[in-house]
Amino acid sequence: MSAASDAGLVAKIEGLLRQPVYFRDVLAAARDQPYRAILRAWSDVRIHHALARDEFGRYWLEK
Amino acid sequence: MADDRRNEDFRSMLARMERDGHMRRIKKTIRPEHVTALCGQAPAALMCEAVEGYDIPIVGGLYWTRARMASALGWRESELGARFAAAVARPIAPETVSTGVCQEIVVTGDDIDLTALPIPFMHEKDGGPYISAGVAFANDPKLGPNAGCYRMMFRTQRELGIDLFTASDLRRYYQATFDRNESLPIAVAVGVHVFEHMAAAYKAPAGLNEMHIAGGLRGEPLQMVRCKTVDVVVPAHAEIVLEGELLPTGWTVDEGPFGEFAGMQGDLKHNPLFRISAITHRRNPVFYALQMPWENDWLNGPATEAACARVLGLAGIQVNAVRATEGGCCGWSVVAAIKKRAGEGKNAIAALLSLPVVKQVIVTDDDINIYNSDEVEWAVTFRCQADKDIVILSGMKGKHVDPSVRPWDLKPGELPTTSKFGIDATIPEGIPAFRYERIVPAFHADIRAEDYLS
Repeated sequence: MSAASDAGLVAKIEGLLRQPVYFRDVLAAARDQPYRAILRAWSDVRIHHALARDEFGRYWLEK
Repeated sequence: MADDRRNEDFRSMLARMERDGHMRRIKKTIRPEHVTALCGQAPAALMCEAVEGYDIPIVGGLYWTRARMASALGWRESELGARFAAAVARPIAPETVSTGVCQEIVVTGDDIDLTALPIPFMHEKDGGPYISAGVAFANDPKLGPNAGCYRMMFRTQRELGIDLFTASDLRRYYQATFDRNESLPIAVAVGVHVFEHMAAAYKAPAGLNEMHIAGGLRGEPLQMVRCKTVDVVVPAHAEIVLEGELLPTGWTVDEGPFGEFAGMQGDLKHNPLFRISAITHRRNPVFYALQMPWENDWLNGPATEAACARVLGLAGIQVNAVRATEGGCCGWSVVAAIKKRAGEGKNAIAALLSLPVVKQVIVTDDDINIYNSDEVEWAVTFRCQADKDIVILSGMKGKHVDPSVRPWDLKPGELPTTSKFGIDATIPEGIPAFRYERIVPAFHADIRAEDYLS
């Protein structure tokens, strides 16, 4: 079984994505977390949401 | 034996580079997202042995300079183009073996988790962590096996976005399966020897298996092994292999931006989706993170120099040396030294600028050491008259990646054109060579610096 993601970290990333952010901003906001945990949470976010992108490559959650 | 390079694998190449002083080991713990910044500041390629949260080391910066590329190849710096050309002329077919170290560990089913690999986030504006050193292998019923280099962006624990935006053989293979609403099985090897990586980066004619060129570079057949979940063969000694399929979703999945080969941040693209069906790897694998742009560019440098020597030869020009320069991404800018006959400085410029990518050239006489930029500048300064010796050609085929062609002004499907230029820095016709006689230190043959400086 692949490892589960951290629900708190997923929620934190979802909160961050209320406005357009670069992936770098996601990493910076969660820099106190292990890199692998951030990627697992990111994976979870991508599976459960269709993320919008702008021409600069920023992500956000469409309402 | 230290010099025995038969069936040399990636990690043996690393060990040789370390012995040459071109790779260093870093013991201090580092996070994956910091590796690219560290590699960019380091005087050698780096093996980051302690990656926080992982038991897999990251190696990067292997081909960042001409010297490191030559070290990886085990060739002299001056012979990159000639030896590449010789290998292309003498391809050797790979052999399929029954087992390979790349399958010492096999992960399938629910155990697949790409986050188990230290896929690094590399550049400030990238769309996510990237596998930058992936060599993708695929089959086509008519065209046969193909290998090529494609970047892949981490999306989920089982999925990667893959850049198939520009024309390539893999794009053609994928288009064929997409048209039938079928998936394309592929395998991606991460951490293959420079011979395989450079052969995969080479734009070989369709139908020519790049791994035959890898055999030519090796001077022996490359050993390949069949994948566990897809009908594709991969180098048996690869560090890590990702097996799976490109889903028939077309160019619909957001991918990028990524710091691209020309040294500029690329655009957001829409590309196919790569779903993983198995991760296989060696015991204690090494994760190779190719560092943009120079490491990517140097993979093409020898092929560029080989192409330049070929077109100059076709033009009947005697070539002494050709150098693809880093500033020109090892393809766009070229310096050539020739044994000139009257008019051949300009002929050489015309020949070199006919190559699709080459945009600027400097042609010198064969007394100039073109690996020394000061000598090239000296030749340009004293052998060139700007109103006579600079050739400008307009309306030639350009590339979208070059902002100076203003690609955003093009209509969809429209191709850019560009101007190109060459500097004839050969001794002008009518000026006798003795006018350029160099100063020579008195009794220079009698003096050895080490006798005085040691």
